[in-house]
Amino acid sequence: MPKRVAIVGVGMQKYEFRKERTVEEMVFDVTRNALEDSHLSKDDIDSVVFGSAVDAFCGINNSDKVAIDASGGLLKPTMRNSTSGSTAISTPILGYTHVASGMHDLVMVICYEKMSENDSAQAVFNTVYDEAYVRPIGLNVPIQCGLEARAYLHKYGITERQMAKVSVKNRGNALSNPYAQLPMKLTVEDVLASPYLSWPVKLLDTSPVTDGARALILASEDVARELTDDPVWIKGVGRGADSVYFMGRKNKDLGRLDYAYLAAKQAYDMAGIRNPMAEIDYAEVYDPFTYKEMQHCEAMGLCPEGGAGRMIDEGISLKEGPLPVNASGGLQGEGNPIGAGMSRLCWCYLQAKGQAGACQVPKDVNNAVANGWGGMYQYNAVMVIGRD
Amino acid sequence: MAKKKAVLSIDGEIQINYKWSVGKAGDRFFTELRDHKKIMGTKCRQCGRILVPPRIFCEECFVEDMEWVEVEPRGSLLTFGESYFSTDGKRLKEPWMLGIVRLKGSNGGLIHFIRESRPEDLKIGMPVEAVFKSKPEGNIMDILYFRPANN
Ligand SMILES: [Zn+2]
Repeated sequence: MPKRVAIVGVGMQKYEFRKERTVEEMVFDVTRNALEDSHLSKDDIDSVVFGSAVDAFCGINNSDKVAIDASGGLLKPTMRNSTSGSTAISTPILGYTHVASGMHDLVMVICYEKMSENDSAQAVFNTVYDEAYVRPIGLNVPIQCGLEARAYLHKYGITERQMAKVSVKNRGNALSNPYAQLPMKLTVEDVLASPYLSWPVKLLDTSPVTDGARALILASEDVARELTDDPVWIKGVGRGADSVYFMGRKNKDLGRLDYAYLAAKQAYDMAGIRNPMAEIDYAEVYDPFTYKEMQHCEAMGLCPEGGAGRMIDEGISLKEGPLPVNASGGLQGEGNPIGAGMSRLCWCYLQAKGQAGACQVPKDVNNAVANGWGGMYQYNAVMVIGRD
Repeated sequence: MAKKKAVLSIDGEIQINYKWSVGKAGDRFFTELRDHKKIMGTKCRQCGRILVPPRIFCEECFVEDMEWVEVEPRGSLLTFGESYFSTDGKRLKEPWMLGIVRLKGSNGGLIHFIRESRPEDLKIGMPVEAVFKSKPEGNIMDILYFRPANN
C-alpha cells in the first residue's frame, strides 16, 4: 500500500514571453516561493524532481543540471522527468512515488520551460515527430491539433461557437490571476473572427508561447500533519499512453482520447471516486487549445462523453458554475510553458486551501482534479487531490 | 514610467546534421517504395494485423514474427487539416493540407499531403489514393501526396 502524501506548498511566478531570467533564475524564484509558502528551508528537503518537456526550446540539453543549485538540490538525490506536455502532471506523480514509497519525507517538484529564446517554437515542435515517416511532411502543432479537432467535432457534433466560449471563459478568468500572461476580456464573436490556424482552430482558440516555472512540495503524512492542520492529500494518480504511430491505432477514431480515459479511471479508482461529476468540486484541465479543454472534461468524467459542448453552453464550467474548470485562466489565459503546465495542479491546491485569491471559486473545494497531455496525441497524466 | 532596461542577451545557434537509420523494417519499406512504387506493411503471424509503417515486431502480441505484405496505395481519410502557417511559423497566403490515411487492407496508415482538392471537397471517411513521384529517392516524399479517389 502506498503511504499517504500531501501537498504542503506551492511556488508561483508570473508567466511571460521573453522572461529576462535564465532557467536557473526562474527555478530559484519558484523554489524560494514554495519554501516560504510551506515554512520550510532548503535543508528540510530530501530530494528534488525536475520536469521539462523539450530541451530544444531553451537550447540547453540536459537542462535539468541547470536546475540543481537553484532548486536546493545540491548534493541531494535529483531526477528529471519528461513526457511531453504531460510532464506537467507526470512530474508531480514521480515526486509522489518518492514519498508514497517511504523513501523520502519531503520532495521538491519543479517544472520549468523557457520557450521564447529560439526563433521558431514551431520548428522546434517539428523535431519531436518521427524522423522518417512524419517529420518530412512539415507537420507543426497548429495542424496537428487541427487534425485532431476536426475528428473530435465530427464525432460529437461540437461547434466552433462552443469552442469559442471556452476561450472567452479562460481568458476572462485570467483577468483575476496575477501570474497570467494573456488575460483578455473577449466576446464569442471576437474569437470566431480571429484568423484560422487550421480549421476549426483559430488564433484565439490557442495558448501563447510562454516562459515560466512552478514548484510544489510534497510531504509524508507525519511531516504534513506537523506543518498544517488541514492537509491537501494526493488521493489518486493515473497515466496512459497510446501508440507513437497515431495513424495505426486500434481505435482509429482520433476524436476520442482512450489514453486519457484510462489515466482518469486509474486516478479515480485509487481515490475511491465513482461519480466525478458529483464528487469533484473543481478542475484544472490541460487546455492548450479550446477543444482540448472540452476533450479533457469528457475524459476526466466532468461531463458525459460528447457532452462538453452542453457543459460550456450551460455555464457549468464557469467560475461561478457548479463545476468550475480553469478558474485560473488555464493555459490559454495564464500561459502555456509546456512542462510547467504543473500550474494546473498548483491552482487545484490553492483552490482547496482557499488561497486562490481573486481566482477563488465561490464554493468549498474538497476534491479537485488536474491533468496534462502531450506528444502527438500520446500521453495523459491525471492527479486527484483533496482534503480529508 | 521609464522603460525597464533589458538584460543583455547573447546570440547563438545549434546546427547539427544527422544521418538517421530507418531501421530493418524501414529499409524494406523505403526500398520497395523507391524501386517498385509499392507500399509495404508487415503482417503479424499471430494476430494478423498489418502494420504500416511497418515494424519488425507486433506491439500487441509482442513477438518478432512478421511477414511482408503489399498494401494498396489507397485508403480512407481518418481526418484532415489545412494549415495557414509554414513549419517555421510564417503565415501563408495559400494553405497546405494534410490528412491521416488508413490504408486499405491494413491496420495502419500514413500522414501525408492532400492535394488536387480544396478543404470543402473533403470529408472524413472519403476514399483517397497515393500519387507517386516519377523519380523516387527512397524516402516518404516518394509519395507526392494523396488525392480524392473513386471508390
Ligand atoms: Zn500481433
